[in-house]
Amino acid sequence: MENDQDILIRCLSVTKQYKKGENLVTPLDTLDLDIPRGDFLAMMGPSGSGKTTLLNLLSGIDQPTSGSIEVDGVAIHALSRRALAAWRARQVGYIFQLYHLVPVLTAFENVELPLLLDDLKRRERREKVEAALSLVGLSDRMHHFPRELSGGQEQRVAIARALVADPPLLVADEPTGDLDRESADAILGLLQTLSREQGKTIVMVTHDPKAAGAASRTLHLEKGQLLEAVS
Amino acid sequence: MLLPFSYAVRNLYRDRTRLAQTLGGSALVVFLVMGAHALNEGMRKTLSASGSPRNMLILGKGSEESMQRSEVSEQAAGITEASVSGIYAPLGDRAVSPQIIHMANLGLPDGTRIRGLVRGVTAKALLTHPEVTVMEGHFPGPGEIMAGRLAWKRFGIDEGDLVPGTELRFDSATLTLSGIFAAPGTVLESELWMNLNDLRTLAQRETVSAVVVRLDEGDPADVQLFTRQRLDLELSAVTEQSYYARLATFYAPVRAMTWTTAALIAAAAVFGGLNTLYAAFASRVREIATLQAIGFRRTAILISFIQESLMTSLFGTLLGALAAVLLLADRVIYLSAGAFRLGFGPETLFAGLLAGTLLGLVGSIPPAIRCLKPSLPQALRD
Ligand SMILES: Nc1ncnc2c1ncn2[C@@H]1O[C@H](COP(=O)(O)OP(=O)(O)OP(=O)(O)O)[C@@H](O)[C@H]1O
Ligand SMILES: [Mg+2]
Repeated sequence: MENDQDILIRCLSVTKQYKKGENLVTPLDTLDLDIPRGDFLAMMGPSGSGKTTLLNLLSGIDQPTSGSIEVDGVAIHALSRRALAAWRARQVGYIFQLYHLVPVLTAFENVELPLLLDDLKRRERREKVEAALSLVGLSDRMHHFPRELSGGQEQRVAIARALVADPPLLVADEPTGDLDRESADAILGLLQTLSREQGKTIVMVTHDPKAAGAASRTLHLEKGQLLEAVS
Repeated sequence: MLLPFSYAVRNLYRDRTRLAQTLGGSALVVFLVMGAHALNEGMRKTLSASGSPRNMLILGKGSEESMQRSEVSEQAAGITEASVSGIYAPLGDRAVSPQIIHMANLGLPDGTRIRGLVRGVTAKALLTHPEVTVMEGHFPGPGEIMAGRLAWKRFGIDEGDLVPGTELRFDSATLTLSGIFAAPGTVLESELWMNLNDLRTLAQRETVSAVVVRLDEGDPADVQLFTRQRLDLELSAVTEQSYYARLATFYAPVRAMTWTTAALIAAAAVFGGLNTLYAAFASRVREIATLQAIGFRRTAILISFIQESLMTSLFGTLLGALAAVLLLADRVIYLSAGAFRLGFGPETLFAGLLAGTLLGLVGSIPPAIRCLKPSLPQALRD
């Protein structure tokens, strides 16, 4: 077990249940998990095993039925919805399988969105957006709309949007699931760079063993429990 | 912590059909609301301007609500003049005007028949109705008739059909149009005035319809007292103002109908708007969820949706108001009591603006709330 100071996320007997009609589904059952700061963690598991559910809990999109989740000392399982929204804005960047860019906003404007939640001057925002887009290699596509970009480019814009406000935690749900090999490799390389050079903690759900290989370790989720695999 | 305004603006253009629908709907509603308001205002203003608080109408007992049905003895005018004090009397000439109101059938030189109220008057009518001015020609003497400047509109004929010199058939008699008069903002403007004695002969009556008395420092109660004391004359006195006010209540069903029509169309527009906006917002559920994941509050998204809807409805309001001003502003509506010029004013514009704003709010808030309902993980999954 690592030293307490190095732990960014600590889950203690986390259970998540959903009502499905009469039945109770329990995708996560008294699960314990520590994620050290700076970790690049891949999560695999069969469909329906609760990967997205766990990712949502770690990133404050959803809250557990029971158990506790602390991120950087904040007990996010106990935050109000409003406080949770404010927490997400500062602490987490999201990357989705289908990019989820806002179609009516340009790449620049999409990346700028998280910064609008901060008290920044227009110029400061522009500098940060330009830096983020240049990091993902899309400086020349700044004023393009999502429909004018390829899938791989859209996902890079999404990554720029996730990191522009400099959150310590990035979560990605099958970020390469909809991309060809080449684009997928570019995305994975980008995530590795962010982990290595910026010390981001990254939790990535994937079905692709090759994608998982880009991470520093892989966890398997099965029947509501985690099994660590040798990486 | 609001979403950029440009997000709301660009969302407008996501679906042009929807934009056209909501624009057209709100323009139509605003147009109708302004039309209904202007009609009601026009009727109210015209009728209230038509009755002076200084004028008393002396009518036959039991006919206080209809000058047309009322019968007043011929001597009533003379007796009133002698008995009531405080009558307006410029240059010693007392403002007491006996009048006959008669529904007449007139023939134009080309054979067209027109039917409407004709008022038989003496020159005293100009004392009791100082708002009347002869614009063209002269006041009608025997064998003559004079037309209000809106009379032609009311009869649905050309302005050129009623010009001084025109000969009008009235039963066996021929009347020459002696002039055109104005009486701004009152129902008198759509009337025909002719010589009292002529009308008495032609209408074959021995009585007049009413005696109009204009008071100076006199008290309306004195006139009423006079009619009550002279039981033999069987008279009743009302202020001209209350007479026309009662006439206005007679038109309440017309007013109710215009408002009901406007309200029904508005309801249909709101319903249609609710549906189209619901579909529009529902197609953005995942995008809304993403914005929430990033950290935007539901309120921020709700506000953006309201902005989007208000922009459409207010632009529709502009179009509707413009159409109303262009198409309705100087329109005159004809009812049996006379011609009513549609009363456009700041309140009409305000009514339209209010309707447009409400439409934008009522049409967008329920669908927006419904689309913000699903939980965040659920919405992201959709
Ligand atoms: N909002 C919900 N209501 C009811 N059941 C849910 C809900 N969200 C998830 N579940 C159920 O929880 C279980 C885990 O779902 P989850 O989406 O976490 O799986 P996953 O591992 O991400 O699957 P996949 O690989 O297909 O994305 C599934 O059985 C799913 O049906
Ligand atoms: Mg999933």
